[in-house]
Amino acid sequence: MGKVALITGVTGQDGAYLAELLLAKGYDVHGTKRRASSFNVGRVDHLFKEENGATPAFQLHHADLTDSTSLIRLVQDIQPDEIYNLAAQSHVQVSFETPEYTANADGTGTLRLLEAIRLLKLEGKTRFYQASTSELYGMVRETPQTELTPFYPRSPYAVAKLYGYWITVNYREAYGIHASNGILFNHESPIRGETFVTRKITRAVAAIEHGRLNKLSLGNLDARRDWGHARDYVEGMWRMLQQPAGDDYVLATGETHPVREFVTLAFSHIGRTIEWVGSGTEEKGLDARDGTLLVDIDPRYFRPTEVDLLLGNPAKAAEKLGWKATTPFEDLVREMVLSDVELLKTEPVRYSYRD
Amino acid sequence: MQQKTALILGVSGQDGAYLAKHLLSKGYKVHGSSRRDKYQRITNLDRLGIHDDVQIHSIQTDDFYSLFRTLRILRPDEIYNLSGQTSVGLSFEVPIETFASIANGTLNILECLRMLDIPTKLFNAGSSECFGNTPLPAAEETPFQPRSPYASAKAAAFWMTANYRESYGLPVCTGILFNHESPLRPSQFVTRKIISAAARISRGSGERLRLGRLSIYRDWGWAPEYVDAMWRMLQGDAMDDFVIATGQSQSLEDFVAVSFETVGLNWRDHVDVDASLFRPSEIDHSVGNPLKAQRLLGWKAEKGISAVIAELMSTELETAAC
Repeated sequence: MGKVALITGVTGQDGAYLAELLLAKGYDVHGTKRRASSFNVGRVDHLFKEENGATPAFQLHHADLTDSTSLIRLVQDIQPDEIYNLAAQSHVQVSFETPEYTANADGTGTLRLLEAIRLLKLEGKTRFYQASTSELYGMVRETPQTELTPFYPRSPYAVAKLYGYWITVNYREAYGIHASNGILFNHESPIRGETFVTRKITRAVAAIEHGRLNKLSLGNLDARRDWGHARDYVEGMWRMLQQPAGDDYVLATGETHPVREFVTLAFSHIGRTIEWVGSGTEEKGLDARDGTLLVDIDPRYFRPTEVDLLLGNPAKAAEKLGWKATTPFEDLVREMVLSDVELLKTEPVRYSYRD
Repeated sequence: MQQKTALILGVSGQDGAYLAKHLLSKGYKVHGSSRRDKYQRITNLDRLGIHDDVQIHSIQTDDFYSLFRTLRILRPDEIYNLSGQTSVGLSFEVPIETFASIANGTLNILECLRMLDIPTKLFNAGSSECFGNTPLPAAEETPFQPRSPYASAKAAAFWMTANYRESYGLPVCTGILFNHESPLRPSQFVTRKIISAAARISRGSGERLRLGRLSIYRDWGWAPEYVDAMWRMLQGDAMDDFVIATGQSQSLEDFVAVSFETVGLNWRDHVDVDASLFRPSEIDHSVGNPLKAQRLLGWKAEKGISAVIAELMSTELETAAC
C-alpha cells in the first residue's frame, strides 16, 4: 500500500513541487489550503485528475493552522505517514505589519500540528517535517551558517519560525516523534510568489520585454542571498523523513549572489546589458546601448532590520542525506525569466505592475 | 467639503469590491485591507477596474496591533467590516478560525474605536443566517436562532456591536444582510456553482451537477444594490441595525430550474442530488422583511430573482466566451 502524506500550505511554491514529487513516488497526497475570497490554487490545479470512481491520489482540504480542531480532524481522517508543515505567513515584510497573526500561524500553528500527532497517539507512525528558514540566522553569528550556528532572528516572521523550530526539536526529544527541521536557504522557481524579490525581478524583466513596464524599482541591491531551485529543495525535505531518526538539516547551495547580479543576469535573457551608475539610493541601472533607465532604487523596499550575508553550509545534508542543490544559479535565473516572458504573453494586462 | 475617507476591511471579497467602487463613485478616498497581504493583487478589484484606486493595507482583524496602528494613522470617517470567514459550510470544518475572524475580529475593531476615541462610524456586516429558519419574514426584532458555527459567530459580532453602541455611545451598526449574489461570488458558492455548470453544460461539457438539498428557500438579491444599503446606513446621525433583503423567497430548485431554462435546458436532465453535500444542520426557509430599510433609508431591492439569474448568466457566458 502506498504511503499517505499531508502537506499544509500545498498551494504555495514548495507545496506544489513537493506534491508533484510525492505523487511521482506513489504517495496519496492530501494538501491543505486556507479559505480565500479569490482563486488561489493555480499552482496545484494540474494535479487534480478525474479517476472514474476511484479516490483521487491528490486531494485538497480546507484547514487553518490557527484552528486546532480543523487540524486534528484532518489528521485523524487521513492518518498520514508523513506531514510536511509548509503553511505559514511567509512574507518577512508583512510580518512587521501583522506580527500577532504571524506568531499565531507560524509559531503556534506548528505546535498545533505536533499536538494533533500526540493527541491522536500517532507518535510512532507519523513523521513530521517543519519548514524552517535561513531567516533564523538574521544578524549572523558566523559565516557560513551550519546546523550549529546560533540563531539571531530579526523579524516577527523569523521569531515565530524560531518557536516552530524549537518546538519541533522539543517534541522529538520529549515524545519521540520523528520530527525534522529543514533550515532552507532561499529557493526560487517560476512559481515563486510574485512578492519575492527574484520573481518580482523576472516578472518585471518580462513586462519590460513586452513593453508593459518601463523600469524596475528595488531595495537593497547589495543584499546577497544563497539562491537554489525549489525543485531540488523539496527532494531534500522528503529525504529527511526517510532517515532512521529525525534531525535538523541546512539545505543551501553554499554560494551567494547579490541582487544586482540576479538583475544583470535576468536582463541578459531579453538581450539587455545593464550598466550600473551612481551609488546608494541614487544608483541606477541603465541600458548600455542607449542609456534607458531600467532599474532604480526605492528606499521603501528597505527592511526595518536587514539581515546580513546568508550563506548556508549544506555539508551535513550532503553527508547524511546524499543531497545536493543541483541546479546552477544561471539556469535558475534563465528558467524564471523565460517562464515569465511566456506567461506575460497571454496574461491579461493589469492596471499597473506597481506592487 | 472635505473628502471623506473610508476603510473597507475585507475588500477582496464580492461586497468589498462593489462597495469600493460605490464609494469611489461618491468621491471617497478608499482604503482597503485583505487577509492576503498588501503585496498581493486583489483580483476582484482588477475585475471592476479599480485596483489602483484603492490603497491596500496589511491588516487582519484578528491581529489587534495591525488594526490599531492603521486606524490611529488613517482615522477614517467610515469603516466597513466585511472581513471574516464567509462560508457556512466551511464553518463546520474550521469553527475556531471562523469564530476568531468574525467575532474576535469585530471586537478588535470596536476596542480600537473605543481606545482611540475617534468619531469613526462602523458598518458591521451581519447575516440572515443568524435568524435560522424563518417561517415568516424576519425583521430587526425577530429573535436570532443561529444554526451553524458561522451564524453563531455572526450573532456574537452583532451583539458586541450593539453593546458598544449602547454602552459607549459609539456610532456603530450592523446590517443583517440576506443572500446577495453577483459574478464576483467565489465558485464554491452554490449560486455560482449552478450558473457556471449550466453555462458549461449548454456548451456541451456533458457533466453532471451535484447539489445538496434543493428544497431550501432563500431570499436572493443583487450584491451591487446591497452595498448601497451599507453606505446609507452610515449617513444618518443615529445609528441603527437594519435587515437588508428583497422580501421574496424562492426555492433552490426554482433557482436551478430558471438557470437551466435561461440556457434552454431542463435541469432534471443534468442535476443529481448528493446527500454528502447536506449540511449537519440546514436552514429550510430564509426570507427577510426589509420594510424598515425602505422606510428609514429609502432603500429597496430593485432586482428580483429572475433579474439576478439573468445578470449572472449573461456575465458567465461573456467571460467564458473570451
